Amino acid sequence: MNPIRTIFLTEIARGLWLTLRKMFSRPVTVQYPEERKPVAPGFRGRHALVRDSETGRERCIGCLRCAKVCPSRCIHIETERDPETKRLVVKRYEVEVLRCVFCGYCEEVCPVNAIVLTEFYEYVGYRREDLYFDKERLLANWDEFLATQKRPYFNPYWKPRGVPEKMLPAPKRKAEGV
Amino acid sequence: MAPTVEIHSRQIGHPEWEEPFVVNMGPQHPSTHGVLRLFLELDGETIVGCDPRIGYLHRGLEKLSENLTYSQALVLTDRLDYISSAANNTGYCLAVEKLMGLSVPRRARLLRTIVCEMARISSHLLWLATHALDIGAMTVFLYCFRDREWLLDIYEKICGARLTVSYTRIGGVRLDFTSEIVEELYRFTEEFPSRITDYETLIDVNRIWLKRTKGIAVVPPEKALNLGLTGPSLRGSGVPYDVRKFRPYDAYDEVEFEVPVGQNGDTYDRYRVRMEEMRQANRIIRQCLDKLSETEGEPVVAEGAPDLLMPEKKKAPQAVPHPKKGFLVKGAEVPVVPEGEVYVSIEAPKGELGYYIVSDGSGKPWRVRVRAPSFVHISAIPEMVKGHMVADIIAVIGTLDVVLGECDR
Repeated sequence: MNPIRTIFLTEIARGLWLTLRKMFSRPVTVQYPEERKPVAPGFRGRHALVRDSETGRERCIGCLRCAKVCPSRCIHIETERDPETKRLVVKRYEVEVLRCVFCGYCEEVCPVNAIVLTEFYEYVGYRREDLYFDKERLLANWDEFLATQKRPYFNPYWKPRGVPEKMLPAPKRKAEGV
Repeated sequence: MAPTVEIHSRQIGHPEWEEPFVVNMGPQHPSTHGVLRLFLELDGETIVGCDPRIGYLHRGLEKLSENLTYSQALVLTDRLDYISSAANNTGYCLAVEKLMGLSVPRRARLLRTIVCEMARISSHLLWLATHALDIGAMTVFLYCFRDREWLLDIYEKICGARLTVSYTRIGGVRLDFTSEIVEELYRFTEEFPSRITDYETLIDVNRIWLKRTKGIAVVPPEKALNLGLTGPSLRGSGVPYDVRKFRPYDAYDEVEFEVPVGQNGDTYDRYRVRMEEMRQANRIIRQCLDKLSETEGEPVVAEGAPDLLMPEKKKAPQAVPHPKKGFLVKGAEVPVVPEGEVYVSIEAPKGELGYYIVSDGSGKPWRVRVRAPSFVHISAIPEMVKGHMVADIIAVIGTLDVVLGECDR
């Protein structure tokens, strides 16, 4: 180390000059509970089941593709045939959020875009049951989320950008916002 | 429980003591970068022996992936080296693609290169932040985290997650970039070199930093090769080995970059190498962004790439177009993934990350083995700390840049 630097502490002075300049620059800290950063569209947060605006019920058709593709196997679905209309009805649709890894595979494989990971990230609970979403809770999540969104809402994973159309199931190709 | 290190044969420490002084460091020590446990044999304050113990973060990811399909196991690779998950994803996908013989479209290769280099910058920033904090420089930590936050925000825009990205998929990537992301990345690459200069102003010639890093844990090139070091830790010793240059994958053969090497092989040289690597990574991102406009509108998933929902069975019917009508119908039954074994290694931020996959033809891997750089690097710690002070072991753990999630798997 050369003597001038040793005596006059030039490198320390340069470092301190930098920090002094930064003191007058715009702060980057976000004061979290008071102010929030904008969440990017397509953020993989709390789960919701899309409510069909026509029927008022869930869009899910009970094909079990999401339950099969889930790496942590946290989706449980039970279906039954409606004796009158002979259609498949989703009796039980439950998501164990504590097991979920938020990979977004479920929303990507769903042929009718019925499940979505919303941009809502503040969900906590005091009990385990608070984070065990059943069908009603998932639909309520959707209503709560949609109220905060600009319409029409469209999740990027519903029709992934750049993926060739022939790789998508037919209903997904003409998917529209809600 | 008494440590099982061989300590009785040597006469060290205080002459009246029969055993050397053994200190247990970790697994909850904040500067062990996770849950690394070290038994340190001390002679005064000098380290005469060190015995790393691992396994506190073992989750059995290799075994778990045997019970998941190939595309599901991709999600687990996020959790290996959780600081640079995009690089892990890419390595795994490259291995499966080699097994299946898929050729990835150019746009997807460029996108993967971009996210890999972003992972490198973000990993090196975290490394610099914690390494500097361990040694005693607080400001660098704050500045690095500010810039890493920017990168994580871009990750959030790209794929919707900040840390466990799961961005690639077998045969390409899951989402294309929007023009917004490209613009933001351009802004980042413009701004970032000046940020690196800032960090260098703070610590490059700082006398405390020099005293703590120069001449600490010197590894000569031959020893570094014998210890199995890879990545920046090896290049700090002056060995210009980089998988990106030796066996180019993705779009690395299209871009220009230099491989920085050190001279003395001490902690300071490894620091210099990583700083220079961040500049090169920035350069690579810039070049890839320029090339991205040439491939506008191209698909990002390869022809014949498997669906996310892969069949688990040994054989599954192929989807073939109907001879007269256009739609796809069931064809002959073929193995989901060809039988065989494959090894692919990539240059992850920490070092050479290899995936060895054995397939039995079904949709699940028969065996996945991860060659994790951190595991090898931890085995080099005892060699590197011998003869140094207790405080230097912090610098050694920092300079090797180990992540225990990857080491224990």
